[in-house]
Amino acid sequence: MKKFLVIFLCIIFAVPFKAYSAYNYDYMGNAIPSQAGYDVENVLYFDMDEPQDIFYSSENFYIADTGNNRILVLDSNLENIVKIYDGFVFPDGTETYLNNPEGVYIFGEKIYIADTGNSRVIVSGLDSGIITEIEKPVSEIYDQNKTFLPEKILVDKSGNIYVISGNVTTGCMMFSNQGDFIGFFGANRSRCTAGNIRNHFVSDKKKSRRKRNIPTGITSFDISQDFIYTCTENSGKTSDIIKKLNSAGKNIFSEKNIHFGDYQPEYSNSGYRPPEISDIDISENGNINFIDSATGHIFQYDKNCRLLFIMGRISGQSGGFDKPSAIETVEEKIYVLDSGKNNLTVFSETQFGKKVHNAVELYNSGYYAETLGLWREILKYDSNYTYAYTGLAYAFLRNGEYKNSMKYARFAGDSELYNKAFQEYRRIFLKEHSGKILIIILLISGIIIIKKRGKNN
Amino acid sequence: MKNLTQIQWLKYTLTNIPDGFGDMYWKKSGSLKISFVILILFFFGIIAEDRLYGFQFSADYDRNFNIIPYLMKSIILFMAWTVGNWSVCTLLDGVGTIKNIFIYSAYAISPYVMQIYINLILSHILVRDEYIFMQLTEIVGTVWSVILIFSAVKAVHQYTLKKTFTAIILTLVMMLIMFVILILFMLLIQQILIFIAEISTEIIYRSRA
Repeated sequence: MKKFLVIFLCIIFAVPFKAYSAYNYDYMGNAIPSQAGYDVENVLYFDMDEPQDIFYSSENFYIADTGNNRILVLDSNLENIVKIYDGFVFPDGTETYLNNPEGVYIFGEKIYIADTGNSRVIVSGLDSGIITEIEKPVSEIYDQNKTFLPEKILVDKSGNIYVISGNVTTGCMMFSNQGDFIGFFGANRSRCTAGNIRNHFVSDKKKSRRKRNIPTGITSFDISQDFIYTCTENSGKTSDIIKKLNSAGKNIFSEKNIHFGDYQPEYSNSGYRPPEISDIDISENGNINFIDSATGHIFQYDKNCRLLFIMGRISGQSGGFDKPSAIETVEEKIYVLDSGKNNLTVFSETQFGKKVHNAVELYNSGYYAETLGLWREILKYDSNYTYAYTGLAYAFLRNGEYKNSMKYARFAGDSELYNKAFQEYRRIFLKEHSGKILIIILLISGIIIIKKRGKNN
Repeated sequence: MKNLTQIQWLKYTLTNIPDGFGDMYWKKSGSLKISFVILILFFFGIIAEDRLYGFQFSADYDRNFNIIPYLMKSIILFMAWTVGNWSVCTLLDGVGTIKNIFIYSAYAISPYVMQIYINLILSHILVRDEYIFMQLTEIVGTVWSVILIFSAVKAVHQYTLKKTFTAIILTLVMMLIMFVILILFMLLIQQILIFIAEISTEIIYRSRA
């Protein structure tokens, strides 16, 4: 009994105490405990008021300090405030000040600011000299009754400016590099309801009196390798929560039918709420990171949309969030801006996270066989990590060890992969044993024929 | 006609489709034991179909197992059919007893049960591209069983073709009604239980105060 107690206590104290337990989803969408891929490294406080956006560009961090009407520029170690943008100068010498700027972006020595309070977008040099000012577009396709409320902003390779306006549900607004309004881009779809059928039978007059079925507007976006990734809070269509748009505005993820965000209320204190994705960021290696402001969970998916890690949560403790508003990744670190606590949380990769990232990178480049050892190590950390089983199954399939591949495909719940491995396994099995099988069939049929003859006589 | 053993009767009814059951009726044959075996095989077949299939065809998930849905899909469904058919056909001048309806229907579903087990074995041998063979087996088994059910009802109640058809449709309706009543009943029981529980807690609280 004493021995047992000692062992029991050892087990309890061997488990390191964490702010929260990390979890992951298995192949059927059930939450299971997992190893943390990221850990809170540091929580930084600056003089900020409801900051809304963070952007990293060549050694400097830019934070849209919305409540204080300014843009903060920090050095790459996040130690000192290098510069503060609050006023800008027009070419003719008049000064102008920011009012609740909610978005910031840097591209080619220019700073792009979504100056929400002033209903305009400012394009300026890094020396505060305004190059272009974009105001409410005058266009047939833009409803003039709507105020222009730029919230998030980004710029593509050719200098086109994309702006998310708070009250526009037809996608993000697209401006040329001269600041001319081009059109809308990447609208969400409205939810299909029984009303859609009814609309075929009622007159236009009646239809105009009904509530219109309007899709939700985009919440935030990011650009990576010419693809724009958008995220949407409270989307009517689950397939519109995270979208990957090509230059034609088509959603590449829509055919894959992937579930993004939480499935169930398990492992959360606040009960289930539909995902409210407040910001998205694409890492340099293509991983998709987004943050759910309802639960405070940060999700990381690889570029093929397989869930890697879930971390973070809403909590009053240091390292927890209150109102996470923006996320940014730089190399292997994740920075999360909180507009409730007015701080910046820095997540860094754990040993486990590092191994998974290495393995996934190799796996996604097609070096399946090389990942074998890595996946084995990952399973030592977390034997429930489904991705590792898929990886092992692929690696064994490449190495020609079909029996093993079948075994691990089964653990990963990957029926398709199992099918591939099984097909090869069956081929080899038949090749080896074709003689024996033939003899058995001949014997059985022989016995049957003899028996029948015996009966007839 | 020769005197056949019970197993031979099963084979006979399955293979002589138009009048196999008719002959069995006149010979007053048919075994309750075999019917029970078929029903139990049906039950295990339904479970196996979900749990023991080749992984290339169904990614099963062993984290939770609930026997009730399988019971519903096999034994309770079959019993509802038997009782429903009996209750309808006694009103429609059917001569079948509930025991005979049970036996004949069990015999009639045996091709379907066989099909389940054949597919179970095939699912461990075939790959996804060859799924069509399993589909073929399933279709053959199902159609065979449907035809047998039809002729079983016809034989056990000594009906004409047209009347058999009506009886089957009415039986299906009856099954539906039975399930609706079952659900209503369960909801009612639940309500009563909640009511009793609430009253008892109330009494306990008041007696304390």
